Amino acid sequence: MSVFEHDYRPYEGPTTPLWKRPLVLARYGLAEAWGSKITVGLAVLGLLPCVVDLVLMYLANNPVAKMLVVGGSKVLEINERFFLGVLETQCWFALLLAAWIAPRLVSFDLGDNALPILLSHPVSRFGYVLGKFIALTLSLSYVTWIPLLVLFVYQCYASPVPWAMGHLGIAFGLFVGAAVWVVLLSLIGLAVSSWVKWRVIATGAMFAVIFVPAGVGGIATAILRTKWGLLLNVPVVMSELWQRLVGAPNIFQGQMDLPNSAIVGVLISASLVCVGVLNARIRAREVVRG
Amino acid sequence: MNAAVDTIRFENVSKFYGEVLGVNRITLSLSPGITTLVGPNGSGKTTLMNLMTGLVQPSRGSISVLGLEPSNATEFFCNVGYCAQFDSFPRGLTGFQFVLDSLMLFGMSEEDAHGLAAEALERVQLDTAATHRNIAGYSKGMRQKIRLAQAIAHHPRVLVLDEPLNGLDPMARAESMSLFQELGRQGMHVVISSHILDEVDRVSDRVVLITGGYLIAQGNIHEVRQEVRDKPMQLLIRCDKPDLLASKMFAVNHCVEARLHADGRGIFLRTGDVDQFYRLLNEIAIEGAVKIEAVAPFDDNANAIYQYLIGSDGSTV
Repeated sequence: MSVFEHDYRPYEGPTTPLWKRPLVLARYGLAEAWGSKITVGLAVLGLLPCVVDLVLMYLANNPVAKMLVVGGSKVLEINERFFLGVLETQCWFALLLAAWIAPRLVSFDLGDNALPILLSHPVSRFGYVLGKFIALTLSLSYVTWIPLLVLFVYQCYASPVPWAMGHLGIAFGLFVGAAVWVVLLSLIGLAVSSWVKWRVIATGAMFAVIFVPAGVGGIATAILRTKWGLLLNVPVVMSELWQRLVGAPNIFQGQMDLPNSAIVGVLISASLVCVGVLNARIRAREVVRG
Repeated sequence: MNAAVDTIRFENVSKFYGEVLGVNRITLSLSPGITTLVGPNGSGKTTLMNLMTGLVQPSRGSISVLGLEPSNATEFFCNVGYCAQFDSFPRGLTGFQFVLDSLMLFGMSEEDAHGLAAEALERVQLDTAATHRNIAGYSKGMRQKIRLAQAIAHHPRVLVLDEPLNGLDPMARAESMSLFQELGRQGMHVVISSHILDEVDRVSDRVVLITGGYLIAQGNIHEVRQEVRDKPMQLLIRCDKPDLLASKMFAVNHCVEARLHADGRGIFLRTGDVDQFYRLLNEIAIEGAVKIEAVAPFDDNANAIYQYLIGSDGSTV
């Protein structure tokens, strides 16, 4: 039997507040996500439409340039419809980026069995997911609401007539519409990545999760002659939501009008399913015998 | 000091993964020092360690580590250092970043974390230049060391090491064992699982034998061996007349085997009754017919206990 000297001293210095711990994981996540050249390439690609939009806004707000390029037609009007188009474009780019980044954040940890190491720290499973979620939402923000609001601010600045106060609803719609999409994409991305260990398959599964139910919903809508099948169609649901938030005219012209409550219900349900999947999959368990 | 706040306690703990048994009805109390978990693959050692580190919750029973329960996550995890058996790391980090970020997850400020990370890396004797290289380029032994550094960096009071000697060369293994011994001596709880039974023998203050999810034995190796009464104990007796000693021993029926040592200056004896054996040996020594130089148990070690209690196929004997 050893003689125990009892002179071991555990760390008794100051510690940071508990809420800050997930930020360490977020930092890990951001470094992991942006360490890839493909991420940088996709992000740059995602900003190209904004550059085009910026040029269009310049043309629309400069009477001389507008006259020279489009002959003064009303094609280049900067209004709710224009911003809806910009919002949709950026949000679909965000899907591309999410499909690439999300598996890097979670699938790698699962594939490498790194979860037991991370979860043996004073950070909960919720803290782990929150850290990854922050990393993903920040990354997606870079191509969604941040450039969208920059474009809005530019339009406010460039408009020859007072424009901002009459169109604040657009800014609100852009921010909320993009934020809802970013949150939903992040949850779907993390959930899919927690389910599929292989990164490439997880990337493919992200698209499948969005578009396969949309196809099924489309079939149901056509066969059963009901609009409710569209609730499975995330692109349609989001388009309707964005259109209402930005205040643009209805692109479906009343034929497929989904009630707001149904849209909110679908988004909440999808989010809850993702949370359920994450709860089931993000575990520190290493070995199951059998 | 209150015993509860200085021990790791398992009270009737069971863990099931669905219908699969992890461990069943484990009641344990571990005091400071080095405890080694010994058992075949799939016996439940890792489950026991995961329970001890709060990574999985028991299906039944309760666990307290130094008076703390896993539900008290902040304090609990700060007191426990865990080195998982899997050769796995978050991707893309250097050794130093890995330890540094781990410390920051424990809540250390960046400044403190830098100091503690450097100290831990020095303690495991990982080359300074290597700590700034990506872990993906490390050898297996270096990865084992960096995991160990991560586990001890935040100065935990309980260190749980799942097969920490795997992949280490003999020199690194000796260094690690010496580090465990030093930590154990200082009063830290060091819980190790290992298949390298010779080294278990050298450093362990106690062993916990587990197989099929059930606790088979626990305690000091010598105490456990003495409890295994149904297996004849093997002893090596160094003396001047081993053949005479053998003939005298065979006169009693508890001696079941005698074998001469290769150098002819000793004898291996197997006896079913150690007490009677020592009594007889005393008598022989007093008679003076045989000059006895030394008596030592020969199967009083982790390897023998493992063979006797678990067997080479992993099933209980």
